[in-house]
Amino acid sequence: MASPSNGRDPLEMVRGLPAGSEVEIRTSDGRSYRGTFLPSHELSGPRIVRLKLPSGYNIGVRVGPGDAIAILSRNGNGSGPGAAPPARSEPPQGSDGRPWVALLTTGGTIASRVDYRTGGVRPAKDEAEILSFYPNLEREGPVRVIPVLDRLSEEIAPADWTTIADRVAKTFTEGARGVVVAHGTDTLAYTAAALSFALRDLPGPVVLVGAQRSPDRPSSDGASNLQAATHVARTADLGEVVVLMHEGLSDTSFALHRGTRVRKMHSSRRDAFRTRNGPPLGRLKDQQLTLSADARPSAPGPLRLDPRLDPEASLLWFHPGLGPARAEQYVGGLRGVILAGTGLGHVSSLHLPWIRTAVARGVFVGMTTQCLEGSVDPFVYATGRELLRAGVTYLGDMLPETAYVKLLFGLGRYASASELRGFMLTDVAGEIAYRHPLEPPR
Amino acid sequence: MKAGLEVHQQLDTGKLFCRCPSELSETVLGEVTRQLRPTGGEDRAIDPAVAFEAERGRVFRYEATTSDCLVEADEEPPHELNPRALATALTVAALLHARPLDEIEVMRKIVIDGSNTSGFQRTALIAVDGRLDVGGRRYSIPAICLEEDAARKAGEGEGETRYRLDRLGIPLIEIATGPEITGGAEAREVAEEIGALLRSTRRVRRGIGTIREDLNISVPGGTRIEIKGVQELRLIQRYVETEEERQTHLLAVREELARRGAGRPDGAPEEVTHLLEGVATGPLRGLRERGAVAYALRLPGFGGLLKGARPEGERLGRELADHARTAGVRGLLHSDELPAHGLDEERVARLREHLRAGPLDAWVLVTAGRRPTAIAALERVRERAAAATLGVPPETRDPLPDGRSRYSRPLPGRDRMYPETDVPPIRTSEEELERIRGSLPEPPSAERARLAARYDLHAEVVRRLQQLDEVDRLEAMIGRGHPAATVARLLAQDLDAASEGLPTPHHLPTDEELEAILAALDRGLFAKEALPGLLRRLMEEGPPVEKVLTGAGLTPLSRGELEILADELVERNASLIAEKGERARSPLMGDLMREVRGRRDGKEVAEVLERALKRRLAAAGPGG
Repeated sequence: MASPSNGRDPLEMVRGLPAGSEVEIRTSDGRSYRGTFLPSHELSGPRIVRLKLPSGYNIGVRVGPGDAIAILSRNGNGSGPGAAPPARSEPPQGSDGRPWVALLTTGGTIASRVDYRTGGVRPAKDEAEILSFYPNLEREGPVRVIPVLDRLSEEIAPADWTTIADRVAKTFTEGARGVVVAHGTDTLAYTAAALSFALRDLPGPVVLVGAQRSPDRPSSDGASNLQAATHVARTADLGEVVVLMHEGLSDTSFALHRGTRVRKMHSSRRDAFRTRNGPPLGRLKDQQLTLSADARPSAPGPLRLDPRLDPEASLLWFHPGLGPARAEQYVGGLRGVILAGTGLGHVSSLHLPWIRTAVARGVFVGMTTQCLEGSVDPFVYATGRELLRAGVTYLGDMLPETAYVKLLFGLGRYASASELRGFMLTDVAGEIAYRHPLEPPR
Repeated sequence: MKAGLEVHQQLDTGKLFCRCPSELSETVLGEVTRQLRPTGGEDRAIDPAVAFEAERGRVFRYEATTSDCLVEADEEPPHELNPRALATALTVAALLHARPLDEIEVMRKIVIDGSNTSGFQRTALIAVDGRLDVGGRRYSIPAICLEEDAARKAGEGEGETRYRLDRLGIPLIEIATGPEITGGAEAREVAEEIGALLRSTRRVRRGIGTIREDLNISVPGGTRIEIKGVQELRLIQRYVETEEERQTHLLAVREELARRGAGRPDGAPEEVTHLLEGVATGPLRGLRERGAVAYALRLPGFGGLLKGARPEGERLGRELADHARTAGVRGLLHSDELPAHGLDEERVARLREHLRAGPLDAWVLVTAGRRPTAIAALERVRERAAAATLGVPPETRDPLPDGRSRYSRPLPGRDRMYPETDVPPIRTSEEELERIRGSLPEPPSAERARLAARYDLHAEVVRRLQQLDEVDRLEAMIGRGHPAATVARLLAQDLDAASEGLPTPHHLPTDEELEAILAALDRGLFAKEALPGLLRRLMEEGPPVEKVLTGAGLTPLSRGELEILADELVERNASLIAEKGERARSPLMGDLMREVRGRRDGKEVAEVLERALKRRLAAAGPGG
């Protein structure tokens, strides 16, 4: 047992002390606290030492220079609170002749756990840790877990879409019946759109799935979403990229959204994902899958992969007060821009000059609506007609995010402005709907 | 015997982690269906209590109401900890001379019985090392916590539990005492004092279910048992005493098992459905027709130990049944209670033979719709029987309305606590603590002394008023000019006495109604003896209070009128008086009281009647 030494700051005693060591703090005003030493919290105040008391409660004790800390026992193996989890011995290899599905992990909440040191959520370390979150994953058949990335979704970049698309294609070549991609929800819809454009003639479903609650919580939606996603990947006659998440707030019903028409509509609800401008592609309720009539069945193959893209484009949200000089500066150097305009697809007429110049330079300028639903239409108001004349391409009911992703692939594939324009205006992955029924069937 | 208390008091400060009101609601807006899964804490270990609930694999239905939002539905992260609730907890900590922590960390306590949508209860340790003096004794208060209340149970069905979300998130102050309580009456007294102290903050919710107690009880050689969620303070004493008896009995059973050399029962559960064909009555009738099966387990060495020392007493058989029930069976039959329940001597003998049970062996029998359920139930029985050879197993128990308790789940450990990472740690500032210490409410002991002196009331009467949460009304009514002694009696005794035996719910007199009654009393419309009767009528019949006052015949009666009534009565009963003389007084008094009860003082009525009677007897003359 170590004891405080004279004249030394008691905080020195715990510097470098392994988490899980037993300590006792005695303050100069007569208080004493005994417990398990914890690493300090990133939002803790100065001179706060964190302890876990025998009751299980964590507390923070402010340790002044006159206080004392005694180390009762030093944790040698580092397996105390906050240490790394025990690794699972052998990861399951799921192809014993039965059809198998692949679970590609990219990071995100669904494959994250709480970091008790920082208090934040961090991505899972490896396959073993992911399987430890979801012990029932293989209930219906083999699942092969393939770690692809280890990233929260706000860190995902277009180059990662290529990596994921490559891995999906490879997995199908290896014989997977379907592929589940576990992904952070923040940019899940972007990745879904990207995979929709990169992968054609899919021999089985590609199901993107996420969680709005981390799997260390008993109430996490990750487990039921993942269960539903693997079920769809294993059984559905579906050759599309879809997003599967809770349909409502209950753990009993899941919606399938086409990868090019889905948006995260809420920052925290389980049913945050919604198909825009129409009903969802399908739903899974009580293990019963229903797909809408226009769902594309599995292709006989071969799968076509074209992951080429050029990231030199952007998405610009118009707002009152956005000056043309600033917009022009922002767009400078890009090969294309998607405008999220107001209403039917407008920006202030002050922007017409830079748009004309950009289009003349060969920059693609596409128009979408920042309204949460609906199409753009250049013919209703004068501004629209002027924008059209200035060379803006009106993109129908395509979501701004989808249009942006599609533009990147278009720029990767086509050198000529007219070919690119043709590609942008063609419905290649269900991203454009020409008919909007009065009451979308549910 | 040693006992400790955990008092949980709801606050009316609004909910702990959102801006919803801390009020219950009867307006159900919709329903959400969920399941929960066990997860480990910082060191990945899964708590036994958590694993137990997970095994049950229940579905939970939540009713959303006007008193909850996305936070309660687990659809939005918790907001910052309610500063008013924290200030109230720190106030209580100061009243209990406890030391607030420098930095408060909100924890998640895993609870997957579904009562929290998140699967955990948020709780924070606020202060430690407090003390409380009650009845000349000092009790330690090791911990004061602030936590969120759970959703309230709205129903239970096959494999599912229904909860309403309105109560979820209401702040609770939890005050734990050390295990220094030595008896049931003492436990109640400490609980009442803590209740009065909490109410002195004026920030607590009032009424049934707004304060709940957990009792931790152990007898020498026994184990700590937690009886969770006692709502009726008056039953605390019973729970403590019953638990003492239960543990003492179980320890005696252990001694006997040890003497017999009995250990963990190791035989396999055996199907006995075929031995029960043709049972004509009782719970085992028509098993096959119902598609049910019966299984039995032999408990070697347990013969005669499943029934208690006395018929109503605690017994091991009931413990085994409680455990079996957690696997989904309705209950069990054991050999110590047979023959009975439709099983005759002969059939019992056959069962005994089939199970190869000797004279010192016991056996239990369960029925279920499915084999695995029956077998699982007997496995739980086996575990509980094995525990009986060691003594009193530590566990959490549910209080029952009759003062007994029932096994609910294993005692949770520290493995179920881990940090609530969505809420940053909270620093308690010296200025805030200074402000709180500078404006502390009057503690109950000081209030008692002040009220007793000021209104010339007995300290015990004031204590009673504090327990009944009636001090505010007392002061308000005295302030409006009613005599202190009458008001104190009304609130401390008469209300309680009047409601005795009345069905619930009944009308609870409002302040206005009580004041109307007091005003009538002050004006001499009736005597104070009539007060309980009037209150009872008001509780039975409900408002308006005027109807009760006039309906009782409480029109004023002067001394002169009373004298006339007495004379008339004596006149009407001349022959009775002639016959019985002085002995006629008693029946006449009864008649007269029926007529004037509550309008004149009883002593005065007796006096007036006495005079009238004397006059009559004198006028009749000797021998008349």
